[in-house]
Amino acid sequence: MGSLFRSESMCLAQLFLQSGTAYECLSALGEKGLVQFRDLNQNVSSFQRKFVGEVKRCEELERILVYLVQEITRADIPLPEGEASPPAPPLKHVLEMQEQLQKLEVELREVTKNKEKLRKNLLELVEYTHMLRVTKTFVRRNVEFEPTYEEFPALENDSLLDYSCMQRLGAKLGFVSGLIQQGKVEAFERMLWRACKGYTIVTYAELDESLEDPETGEVIKWHVFLISFWGEQIGHKVKKICDCYHCHVYPYPNTAEERREIQEGLNTRIQDLYTEVTWCVPLKSCQSLAIPGVTAMGAGTQNAPPLEVRLVDKNFPCSAPQVLHKTEDYLRQVLCKAAESVCSRVVQVRKMKAIYHMLNMCSVDVTNKCLIAEVWCPEADLPGLRRALEEGSRESGATIPSFMNTIPTKETPPTLIRTNKFTEGFQNIVDAYGVGSYREVNPALFTIITFPFLFAVMFGDFGHGFVMFLFALFLVLNENHPRLSQSQEILRMFFNGRYILLLMGLFSVYTGLIYNDCFSKSVNLFGSGWNVSAMYSSSHSQEEQKRMVLWNDSTIRHSRTLQLDPNIPGVFRGPYPFGIDPIWNLATNRLTFLNSFKMKMSVILGVIHMTFGVTLGIFNHLHFRKKFNIYLVSVPEILFMLSIFGYLIFMIIYKWLAYSAETSREAPSILIEFINMFLFPSSETHGLYPGQAHVQRVLLALTVLAVPVLFLGKPLFLLWLHNGRSCFGVSRSGYTLVRKDSEEEVSLLGSQDIEEGSNRMEEGCREVTCEEFNFGEILMTQTIHSIEYCLGCISNTASYLRLWALSLAHAQLSDVLWAMLMRVGLRVDTTYGVLLLLPVMAFFAVLTIFILLVMEGLSAFLHAIRLHWVEFQNKFYVGAGTKFVPFSFSLLSSKFCNDDDIA
Amino acid sequence: MLETAELHFNVDHGYLEGLVRGCKASLLTQQDYVNLVQCETLEDLKIHLQTTEYGNFLANETNPLTVSKIDTEMRKKLCREFDYFRNHSLEPLSTFFTYMTCSYMIDNVILLMNGALQKKSVKEVLAKCHPLGRFTEMEAVNIAETTSDLFKAVLVETPLAPFFQDCMSENTLDELNIELLRNKLYKSYLEAFYKFCKDHGDVTAEIMCPILEFEADRRALIITLNSFGTELSKEDRETLFPTCGKLYPEGLHLLAQAEDFEQMKRVADNYGVYKPLFEAVGGPGGKTLEDVFYEREVEMNVLAFNRQFHYGVFYAYVKLKEQEMRNIVWIAECISQRHRTKINSYIPIL
Repeated sequence: MGSLFRSESMCLAQLFLQSGTAYECLSALGEKGLVQFRDLNQNVSSFQRKFVGEVKRCEELERILVYLVQEITRADIPLPEGEASPPAPPLKHVLEMQEQLQKLEVELREVTKNKEKLRKNLLELVEYTHMLRVTKTFVRRNVEFEPTYEEFPALENDSLLDYSCMQRLGAKLGFVSGLIQQGKVEAFERMLWRACKGYTIVTYAELDESLEDPETGEVIKWHVFLISFWGEQIGHKVKKICDCYHCHVYPYPNTAEERREIQEGLNTRIQDLYTEVTWCVPLKSCQSLAIPGVTAMGAGTQNAPPLEVRLVDKNFPCSAPQVLHKTEDYLRQVLCKAAESVCSRVVQVRKMKAIYHMLNMCSVDVTNKCLIAEVWCPEADLPGLRRALEEGSRESGATIPSFMNTIPTKETPPTLIRTNKFTEGFQNIVDAYGVGSYREVNPALFTIITFPFLFAVMFGDFGHGFVMFLFALFLVLNENHPRLSQSQEILRMFFNGRYILLLMGLFSVYTGLIYNDCFSKSVNLFGSGWNVSAMYSSSHSQEEQKRMVLWNDSTIRHSRTLQLDPNIPGVFRGPYPFGIDPIWNLATNRLTFLNSFKMKMSVILGVIHMTFGVTLGIFNHLHFRKKFNIYLVSVPEILFMLSIFGYLIFMIIYKWLAYSAETSREAPSILIEFINMFLFPSSETHGLYPGQAHVQRVLLALTVLAVPVLFLGKPLFLLWLHNGRSCFGVSRSGYTLVRKDSEEEVSLLGSQDIEEGSNRMEEGCREVTCEEFNFGEILMTQTIHSIEYCLGCISNTASYLRLWALSLAHAQLSDVLWAMLMRVGLRVDTTYGVLLLLPVMAFFAVLTIFILLVMEGLSAFLHAIRLHWVEFQNKFYVGAGTKFVPFSFSLLSSKFCNDDDIA
Repeated sequence: MLETAELHFNVDHGYLEGLVRGCKASLLTQQDYVNLVQCETLEDLKIHLQTTEYGNFLANETNPLTVSKIDTEMRKKLCREFDYFRNHSLEPLSTFFTYMTCSYMIDNVILLMNGALQKKSVKEVLAKCHPLGRFTEMEAVNIAETTSDLFKAVLVETPLAPFFQDCMSENTLDELNIELLRNKLYKSYLEAFYKFCKDHGDVTAEIMCPILEFEADRRALIITLNSFGTELSKEDRETLFPTCGKLYPEGLHLLAQAEDFEQMKRVADNYGVYKPLFEAVGGPGGKTLEDVFYEREVEMNVLAFNRQFHYGVFYAYVKLKEQEMRNIVWIAECISQRHRTKINSYIPIL
């Protein structure tokens, strides 16, 4: 039945990895992704494991790589998409790689540090020039307008630019000037005012250019300030406050000559600054600035001279501006070179780390020669596993090959169901409920058809279905498009379910044809089976007119509704070949007709679906060698279901076939008949067929008999087994099959004797879980199960009526949409109608897509899911397994950009 | 009133409460501590911490690893979480958060002033400051010479300003005065916080008030203990006691008169809450009074998570995280100093 019917059979294998080849073997295994490792050192904490040193080394490498990637992205160098998945690095290359990377990191750090320092210097110089330029205007203003100066008449009387006057006051008057970030200005000023009690004058002006903050590298607006104060004490305070607000303080020239000197020095350089490349020139000014003896520059500038010396030492013969240029060029070169390999390096290191993590799960052999790993492997992949081990051994050139052994186990293996891109979505629907137990029947196989079908029953409209089909087809045809397969959130959801959507659309087209609904309108493909003209009196002979109620002109004129009578010859010419007759779309009693049809259809589909579920349970019992379950559970269950609801279906179909238009008046109600089946009314009713009462009694007896069997059968049988027939050959767990197989394997592989150490370990890992026989518990479980089943039969059948309810809702909603929009749009007269029709069409399309397709589709989807999970799967599906998660490199996240987020 | 508060709580603070409960679930478990204690080196510790919620927070640290690096990184992590809470909070929760940071701010101010007194550089001291209590004006603290100076010039715009009412003086800031200032600030802070929680009412008051009462009493007891044998007069001592605790007023009065540990214990014995704590001191593990108080605090904070719709969970979480950090630092210190005998005396978080 293919691999989708049951999960793959697994076996537990022991890998004996020679310590020299373990790494290569695991690398080969990881590339193939065949096996799931079991943690044999669960009670050993992570830092006490064997390969913790290697893991640490990988982490160190990762750290360096993160740093490299960070630097590369900062330098705007594009990261080349390297080899998609380079293999894990061979062990001998690891050290080399580590050395390379460490060297690169050290180099890079040094170069970046130099560069940062140079840039910081440069920035400070730019700031200083700006400051001098701006503050030049301050002093003049200060002196002119600040009233505080009035206390010093000498100053006021003298010419404003006479700095010698200020010099006379020098003992008292001090200046602090610098730059401050825009946001901090106000708080800074307030603090100054409060701390210095107003003995300061602050002047500031906004700098028209934004400059980079040397610490954070952000480009922000700055303010230039100049604080004039009197007295040493206040001076200290002012300086401290400046520190507190991270101002960049630059020495303010106290004397006129000094000021003029610096200004001159700067003025000539400022010219250069704007003519040449901005980065280089201020540095030149730095060199010459150092000459006039501006020693007490800002904190950052103080270390400028030694830095330059160092750079010169490094054989950079060029002048300072070129130093910066060269440094940047060099940095770029280094980064470019690093960028070439960084992608593959990241993947390699990640693979290496994964290998060591797996090796940490292995236990060490007593002789310390080899590592022993325990893995779950699908039996089908065992040859592949052997090959991978051989490959690994060959690659490392070891003399003793690594080998494997299958070992018997009683533990439940993980569940592996191989899927392809088509079946994956359906498997996901089932897995969302619960991953199947090992080797149990997988409902996903049947879900492929039943799920879209039940959806379509609720979504039956072939217009809508076709739109959905087209959308899914678009996704399917473009599934290799990178933008679709890497899309986000909602689109991704649609993309992953594209095959489900495709089938849902197709099935909706089918059910839409059955319902004869296309955007709520019917399509007359084959010609209606009803003939209206046959109702007129003129088309019939006189005798017939007497017998039948026919139409004439007055009836047509006076009655609001007219009824077609199928009993009149010529009116009903036989059923419509496919689906519902389109004439029903015009009828006022259309809903009554459709409801009756859809309701019955829902019950029929539901009972078939559930019976199928119970039947699947038989396959499970057969596979797990629990034949008694078939007789004691499945058969009574089926009997119970069929004798009540199977009979109901029979009645529905019998009534459809047995009664025609002529006899319809005396057809009994199915509901009443069904109720009477249980109530035994004293007055005998007409009945559907002769002997009905007897048949019903027999069925009822079967139902009643099935119940005690269901309740007590299994517990009593198990009790009997336990008391006398324990050697019956019935095993309670379903994994004997595997055990037998693997026992055979062991005997085949007898030549390779299992070593002592491994045997000891096996016992430790796999204590035999001996089930204790507890009659009370079994009875309780079975009772609960039976009650659930019996009540469930009734409520689940009723639950399938949602098929009817939702399809009714869908049809009505699309009908309303048509009536409210299109009919209004089409009714307007021809001259303006065209103009109105366009927006109406657009509106109609939008509402159709969002309400009918998306919203209604979603609700039908959810109900279909529910019908599968609750009504179908609880008849046979346990879903208590664990998923098989192979050790595979393809599962490692391939995007290393994630690292940037973490960093 | 109660119902409506619970109705509206989630509208404003539901997200953050959910978040903080999730964060609380990531605290280290008993098993984690057992594993941490087994570590041989700090590298081992780092590897183990990587398996916990801390993740690779030390990944970008260059070798060698030191205890202070671990401490700084942990603090940064807590600070990031706290800032996230704070940035997403609405009134009155944001005020509550401000109150929470105040205690750290007080500590930082005192630390900086002590540093200035000992002529240490501001940068050096800044590195020691708790990141939760950082504020811009902080670095200018050392320009002030007296308390009123400090208030008027530096702290008037910070949330600490209201706490200065009781401690304005023109005394120069020497070591004793700084300590007095700290205690007075703390007293006013605790009282204000207590009042805020009380006024807020609802579950917040029910949870926070006992915690703050305990905090106040703990401070009173510790102050008493530390003042034995110092020049602090008994009247002064009494002015330092926060008055929002269970000991207020009789207990505090008696405490002010106490002269040694025995007398202090006698005072505490009158209170059902503190009697068992004092009895546990010096018990089997050689616990100090401080340890006992920490244990009690942890207990109260853990219990705070048993109720919903209140702000106490944020306070409790930060305190629990702090305790966890203290534990990790303790263990790390023990490891790095090869002092393994005492490694087990961390405070378990239940």
